[in-house]
Amino acid sequence: MNRKAQEEMVGFGIIIVIVMIILMVFIGISVKSNNSSQIQSYEVNSFIQSFLQYSSSCKDYFGELNVQDLIYLCNLNKECLDETNSCEILNSTLKEINSASWKVSNESIYKGYNLRISSGDKIIFQTSDGQITNNYRSGIQKLPPKHGEMIDVLFNVYS
Amino acid sequence: MVNKKAQMKIQQMSFMLIGVMLFFGLVALFLVSFKSSELKQTVGDILEENALLLVSKLAESPEFSCGGSFDSYAGSCIDLDKVMALKNSISKYNGFWGVSNIEIRRIYPSSLEVLCDLSNYPDCNRIQLLSQENTGTGVSNFVALCRKQAIGNNFENKCEVGKLIITYEQP
Repeated sequence: MNRKAQEEMVGFGIIIVIVMIILMVFIGISVKSNNSSQIQSYEVNSFIQSFLQYSSSCKDYFGELNVQDLIYLCNLNKECLDETNSCEILNSTLKEINSASWKVSNESIYKGYNLRISSGDKIIFQTSDGQITNNYRSGIQKLPPKHGEMIDVLFNVYS
Repeated sequence: MVNKKAQMKIQQMSFMLIGVMLFFGLVALFLVSFKSSELKQTVGDILEENALLLVSKLAESPEFSCGGSFDSYAGSCIDLDKVMALKNSISKYNGFWGVSNIEIRRIYPSSLEVLCDLSNYPDCNRIQLLSQENTGTGVSNFVALCRKQAIGNNFENKCEVGKLIITYEQP
């Protein structure tokens, strides 16, 4: 009698353990998928499209180059018409646009951002400010290659 | 004796069933609350996305968009020269977009806030259409603000970074 009761208790315990394991796996999968997936944001994608069209101070024979053309020029290590370094202009322009557009602070809903422009393994430009959190929105723009590989413009905003 | 044993067995079984039911009930309750919080987050995201889509729809409308005037057909681009022309005849568009106000603000290069009119354009950074007041729910999205700039006898494309802000009354 006692032994049977013990066996039943063990059976009940096993059922509880199995259900708990299933539950833990389920929660683990949902939490992991929330963290790792990049939420595509209209706002971030619009921001990328906007700054790519910005007319920079770097000129060629046809006039001011927009940031997209400046990225191509910097990737080729070429200079602007007035012999200034295209990468330096790209650097200062993008840093100023980012700090004017995203006011990051502990009080703001935006805690930080990260902009990365790369071609394959080569990083053309990278800047970040504020803190990196697990809650972020992401946007990516792929620029068609003029020479070599495709250029990726990736922007993350952390909140 | 046999009857008593059977009764004990039935009692054991019923306790066991109650225990199992309670346990699964709690698990189900936990799952439902977890899913409902996820659902709330999704609803919030969809509402935000719809509001931003409304701004994008406005930015892509023929009255605002750059079209092919600035070399490329890039999205999120507003032709400021067109908007200034539109500002003059904005009374004809009352209720056309279903929004209470439209504002275009230059973000970069930043400068002191100056409201645009035909006398100070383009040396200004804020264009108000439809109304001078912002009442209701406001949503904004980034746009490129492009215009033609006179350089000697030629015209050059000049694009800056800005925000299109719309205000609408919630139903």
